[in-house]
Amino acid sequence: MSTTTRSDGRTYDQLRDIMIVYEGLDGVDGSARFGFGQTQSLTSVSGPMEVRPNLEQPSQATLDISVRPLVGIAGTDSKALSTNLKAILAPALFLSHHPRTLIQIVGQALCGTESGSGLGSVGKGWNATLVASLINATSAALVNASSVPMKGVICAVSVGRFPSASAATLVLDPSEAELPHLVGGGCFAFLFSSALPLTPSSPDELPPCSLLWTNYTSSVVYDDTELRQAQALAEEGARKVWAAMKESVSNMERTAQCPAFNRFKSAKTESRVKKDTKNLSESEVDDDKMEI
Amino acid sequence: MPRPPSPSIPEKEFVYGALKEGLRVDGRLPLEMRTPALAFGPELGWVECSLGKTRVLAQVDAKMVKPPPERPLEGIISIHSEISPMASSDYELGRPSDEEVTITRMLDKVLRRSDVVDKESLCVLAGQRVWHLRLTIHCLADAGNMLDCACLAGVVALKHFRRPEVEVVGEEVTVHHPSERAPVPLSMHHTPYCLTFAYFPDASTKPVLDPTHLEQRLSAGMLSIALNAQRELCVVQKAGGVPLAADEILRIVDVAVDKAKELDKLVEQRLKEDWAGRTVEVR
Repeated sequence: MSTTTRSDGRTYDQLRDIMIVYEGLDGVDGSARFGFGQTQSLTSVSGPMEVRPNLEQPSQATLDISVRPLVGIAGTDSKALSTNLKAILAPALFLSHHPRTLIQIVGQALCGTESGSGLGSVGKGWNATLVASLINATSAALVNASSVPMKGVICAVSVGRFPSASAATLVLDPSEAELPHLVGGGCFAFLFSSALPLTPSSPDELPPCSLLWTNYTSSVVYDDTELRQAQALAEEGARKVWAAMKESVSNMERTAQCPAFNRFKSAKTESRVKKDTKNLSESEVDDDKMEI
Repeated sequence: MPRPPSPSIPEKEFVYGALKEGLRVDGRLPLEMRTPALAFGPELGWVECSLGKTRVLAQVDAKMVKPPPERPLEGIISIHSEISPMASSDYELGRPSDEEVTITRMLDKVLRRSDVVDKESLCVLAGQRVWHLRLTIHCLADAGNMLDCACLAGVVALKHFRRPEVEVVGEEVTVHHPSERAPVPLSMHHTPYCLTFAYFPDASTKPVLDPTHLEQRLSAGMLSIALNAQRELCVVQKAGGVPLAADEILRIVDVAVDKAKELDKLVEQRLKEDWAGRTVEVR
């Protein structure tokens, strides 16, 4: 593995700052925004709910997933991604617990690639990091909704491959600036579930994980050693994503109240901490008043 | 068994009774609007607008294309505003509801047909290259009055957007990347704001501005007015509903003028704050 630092100063196995915000959107049951740095996606989950008779399935819930890019209308690549997302989620959810219902998931990309430069977002589409953020946002939204039983939490990261004279140079979480220089890469989605068998390599605090889906491609020929290296690197990254998601769940109530304009600054702002203490004291005062 | 459509009878009776006395369920005055909150993204032209719990995201994108032969000297502006089930589970993809059709048509009238952006300034090389601006509106949450929120988000996104600087020498066109030369704002003729009033079946009930989802469902008719801070009307839309006298409409227009001036001040202040916090680096 190369030890040279990347253009933004990260090492090869370092993720950008992870941002998870539980949006609290009004029209749906659960929603979450997930971001690797500036690459962000927003997903909403509604269900189990009323389903149209032609979509109804007698023994399990129907998953209706739609994915929308930031610019323009959803094209073929978005529809292909929603089919993949369906295949990823089906083994992770207990769909048979709610037959004849609908679970509606809408994924929205929140960033394009170099949209302001006049080069347009056409053709850039869904890069691996955006796909990873979308999958993570979906997991977080499902946790936020808490209405669909889940076998485990799906965490995804992207891996990029730089051209190198001697060996493959794999990096974790390639940023938008690094994308044009990659010769290959892809997104790896892992299922973290305590139902999976424990392996000797899995650390104690985290549940065991297994690879669920990947779209690793490369324009140069590669062998399965490289694929295994990429998977191992991605697994490390996915563990960090899982840890970040677990920590965010304890802040779920508070992040929804965060004012919209602080979103793109650091997720933990002082104003939010002050608001938390103010909310706590208000509820304590209300409790006193409520005593009869 | 399908659920009967909301609102329920107790909700209906309560809201009508309260409105008759001039009281709204969320405590606002009848002609008081929810304060809009604007959040700007890291890219220029990305704006999220929220009116209370109603949230809309707008994004502007530009690329250079060959103009159609019938209009070789003008740029092209296209608006995409499909409502997804994220706004509310009542909306379905691929089946435009009445609300979606209304929003699409109003956005088209307010942002395109009223000449908000000077199309001739978007021309780079006559007959060969013009800018094609794409405004995409995503409705994130529907808590009533998505139309006003979408129009506000769209117009602020157009004001926020900066297109790359272009140099034309003879027939040669050079597009400078934003990191080389500072990008240029769009030249806009005016800034329209849309205001929606809801009317109710009981003639003695006064109209309310910026209806919530419940008020919108219970209303008998809606009047949408788009105007700018210079007291110029762009669009007046009243598609069916309660019949209104002419002087009632003029009175409402006066109310709308004051609100538009307030909105304009708020938008200018937010844009200035955002621009001050942004460092546009030029090599």
